[in-house]
Amino acid sequence: MKKGIWQEFDGYEEIAEEIEFSFKAGKERSFDRLMAGQYIRQLHPRQLKLRIVDVIAETASTKTLRLAPVDALLPPFLAGQYIPLFLEINGIRTSRPYSISSQPRQTGYYDITVRRVPDGLVSNYLMDRIKTGDQLDSAGPQGNFHYNPLYHDKHMVCIAGGSGITPFMSMIREIVECGLDRTVTLLYGNRQPDDIIFHEELERISARFDNITYIPVIEKPGKTYTGACGFINAALIREILGSMSDMTFFLCGPQGMYEFCLPELESLGIEKRKIRKEMYGPPDNICDHQGWPSQIEAEDRFEVKILDGRTISVRARDPLLVSLENEGILPPSICRSGECSMCRVKVLSGKVFQPAGTPVRKSDTQFGYVHSCISYPLGDLEIML
Amino acid sequence: MDYDAIVIGAGNGGLTASAALARKGMQVLLLERHNIPGGCATSFCRGRFEFEVALHQLSGLGTPEQPGPLRMTLDSLGVMENLEFVEITDLYSVHMPDGFHASFKPDKNQIIAELKEKFPHENEGIDGFFDLVYKYAGDMIGAFIFRDPEPSREKYPNMYRYAFKNAKAVLDDFFKDPRLKAVISVYWGYLGISADQMAFAYLAMILFQFIEFKPYHVKGGSQALSNAILNSFFTAGGRARFNCGAQRILTEDNQVRGVVTDDGDIVEAPYVVANISPVETYTNLIDKNLIPDNTLQEMNSRTLSNSAFSMFIGFDCEPEALNIAESTNFLMSSTDITRTNHDRMNRIDIQDELLVMSCYDVSDSSFSPPGTCQVNLVTLKYGDPWLDIPPGRYHEVKFRCAESMLCRMEEIYPEIRQHIEEIDVATPLTHMRYLGHPAGSVYGFEHRTRDSLFFQPGRHSPVKGLCFAGGWTGDGGFEPTLRSGVAAAKSILKQTNK
Ligand SMILES: Cc1cc2nc3c(=O)[nH]c(=O)nc-3n(C[C@H](O)[C@H](O)[C@H](O)COP(=O)(O)OP(=O)(O)OC[C@H]3O[C@@H](n4cnc5c(N)ncnc54)[C@H](O)[C@@H]3O)c2cc1C
Ligand SMILES: Cc1cc2nc3c(=O)[nH]c(=O)nc-3n(C[C@H](O)[C@H](O)[C@H](O)COP(=O)(O)OP(=O)(O)OC[C@H]3O[C@@H](n4cnc5c(N)ncnc54)[C@H](O)[C@@H]3O)c2cc1C
Ligand code: FES
Repeated sequence: MKKGIWQEFDGYEEIAEEIEFSFKAGKERSFDRLMAGQYIRQLHPRQLKLRIVDVIAETASTKTLRLAPVDALLPPFLAGQYIPLFLEINGIRTSRPYSISSQPRQTGYYDITVRRVPDGLVSNYLMDRIKTGDQLDSAGPQGNFHYNPLYHDKHMVCIAGGSGITPFMSMIREIVECGLDRTVTLLYGNRQPDDIIFHEELERISARFDNITYIPVIEKPGKTYTGACGFINAALIREILGSMSDMTFFLCGPQGMYEFCLPELESLGIEKRKIRKEMYGPPDNICDHQGWPSQIEAEDRFEVKILDGRTISVRARDPLLVSLENEGILPPSICRSGECSMCRVKVLSGKVFQPAGTPVRKSDTQFGYVHSCISYPLGDLEIML
Repeated sequence: MDYDAIVIGAGNGGLTASAALARKGMQVLLLERHNIPGGCATSFCRGRFEFEVALHQLSGLGTPEQPGPLRMTLDSLGVMENLEFVEITDLYSVHMPDGFHASFKPDKNQIIAELKEKFPHENEGIDGFFDLVYKYAGDMIGAFIFRDPEPSREKYPNMYRYAFKNAKAVLDDFFKDPRLKAVISVYWGYLGISADQMAFAYLAMILFQFIEFKPYHVKGGSQALSNAILNSFFTAGGRARFNCGAQRILTEDNQVRGVVTDDGDIVEAPYVVANISPVETYTNLIDKNLIPDNTLQEMNSRTLSNSAFSMFIGFDCEPEALNIAESTNFLMSSTDITRTNHDRMNRIDIQDELLVMSCYDVSDSSFSPPGTCQVNLVTLKYGDPWLDIPPGRYHEVKFRCAESMLCRMEEIYPEIRQHIEEIDVATPLTHMRYLGHPAGSVYGFEHRTRDSLFFQPGRHSPVKGLCFAGGWTGDGGFEPTLRSGVAAAKSILKQTNK
């Protein structure tokens, strides 16, 4: 075909003129502004260095670490979000998410409040070995467990268990300190009265502010305890709330709490869309999980071959991500609960157990990808990172 | 050399370039900064929903019996067997707050009948306009698709006469009713260029294409497409690194030598395909002294296309409960089709903008979990104004805009508030973050008449071994970007005689 026949099309002359003009008029653009790198880094930094400026003992098993930025401004966050911590402990590089317990308009520091988990790698390290002045690596705040003004009710019913109080602390502090038009009813479950984190502060706030109600619930009270006891169940919720229309329920706590509380809420006729649930790490004991094949024992060992890499030995009860990290192989991870998909790996051969309902993209499942933080080997595997 | 070629970016163009090269026996490394392939062509999970990010209507696929250009491209990559396409049975509907509603099927006669019923006073113009659209398309196909060796004004009068005319001028020739003009040119809501700045050629071809090849969606969303192409690449022996972008392109004597990755590794290869903007490539990745002044001048003469503001909404009911009857809907408040309306893309807030609302579950009831449905609600916005929002106020502005958008949807679908189970919002800053393109552009450079058609930047670069694929080379959209990668691969294969 003839080259450039369009030069004969009607109107070509004017367009050629326009092009010539824009050629002369075109200016070099500010690359830094266009790429918005600095702006994006301020909202979602991939790396954020934090220094411990204070350590506050909360209970015998809980401390608050106050974290100030080392060389940047702290990114803004929504009350309820968490930050990942990236650490190296005894030669193992790993990460853990911790909800921010301070409120978002406190822009000078983030508080995280950590409870000791028996035999836990990171929580014990943070409790015992971290002191004021130390630095921690983190990244921008993440997560979808926050109040969303577009569709959540202004009356929030918050159900917390143990260290699951932390995101609610941030929300409640923001509401009272900034005078937000929102109401909170907090039901906070703990084993013993001594385990309650932030008890005095919560008592004080609920005494002072009409829109905050605080109900501690103790699982195994002593004889003299007079408050609410046992588990947080339907009867207790009904007694406290009465009518439950125009309320959104927020749950944060250990797996066992969800297993118990979600059916209770269902029995009260609360619609699914009114219930928000924070993820809280992999199940404690995967072998007890529904669907786990009974012939596989927790301590069974298998081999995992990594494409273009080594072969490692793994234990059935450990999430694949943890086994990989223990061998110095480091897929990226943020939520460590199966939700963010950062840790996805492709299983080329072999089978893994990934709890039903893990939010994996349909086509990822079709092509063999799993979220390694919540996938357990059920035999020898070959994987691609 | 470590590889025969390195591809930077796993968007549509990068993916198809990688797969096409690897399937011809080239050793290829694909580098992607995000943790997942697709660029725009992706999805993400919230609660029990998997939200589609970009794909509303796939063009150019056609049927197995009457394949369109995209089907041939995907066939050549060996991905069709892993994909299930769903024909979207409606073309689009337009809804206005005053109750006006027109609904079109991808069928010329139905469209004409529906328009005549809604605009009886414009009967004649309607016939004439669609006649022209089809004649124009016929000319384009004859001259360019079948590569007529001797095209002439006599053979292709409509092409010679109309190609460079702006769409509004043609609409003005045929119609008086501003509402009718807005309804027919409503696809500008996809293209991001108002009718008075857009070549008639674009409007004619988009209508013709969607009517003749039908609009499609894909099961599993656009992520399924991205995953399938990546899988074909792996099957052909390709290697990819995710969470690892390209920092620098290395050269020697004006010839590509390799790439420095974000991890600091040096990987050698004589060819690099960039699925990223020339703006970033020439400013940040390569020694600027290698780029001649006129190349930079040409680049700077072009404006950057829009970004987008999107809401992803999961409902706890089926579409019927919300009165959503069509897959593709334009919510239109203003019938202005001039640059004044276009300028609204420069303001942050959402008032009477043209909104696109897709509900995939209408044509594919398995798209969302049983008893639910999802909606992707989007309006095109420029990215730049967003950079003036103080970071501490970003969330507040985002929620404010989303609330206005939701109110707009509520005008047409009053039931929605009682059924929302999940919402997520993406702003131009979200696109900047995940795509890494300047100003969060989703279509590359802008496509005014003077930048489009025959005046596009193309894939070539002044550096030997470096070429581009994706939206920055020409047209945006799935079909063009998917095809652009294959074209880039072909030109490399030609040079290597493979
Ligand atoms: C979004 C999110 C927010 C979180 N916010 C907080 C917070 O604010 N404060 C806080 O203290 N923790 C929080 N966590 C939990 C935290 O990330 C760690 O899981 C916890 O500190 C244990 O880590 P570890 O390294 O000490 O234990 P690991 O070495 O990972 O685990 C040791 C053993 O303990 C079990 N285990 C792990 N986590 C828990 C747990 N939470 N409860 C009971 N058993 C567990 C494991 O199954 C394993 O058997 C949050 C988790 C998520 C996903
Ligand atoms: C909201 C929205 C709606 C849309 N609707 C439609 C529609 O209905 N129909 C249609 O046809 N089209 C639609 N599009 C357009 C279509 O999605 C895009 O035109 C197309 O996907 C762009 O493909 P691309 O090849 O240009 O690559 P992109 O998708 O732009 O991907 C570029 C990739 O490069 C990566 N990258 C960037 N920098 C680096 C680096 N230095 N190193 C490594 N990797 C890097 C990015 O992470 C990204 O993955 C829509 C787009 C959006 C955003
Ligand atoms: S780290 Fe988030 S899904 Fe595994």
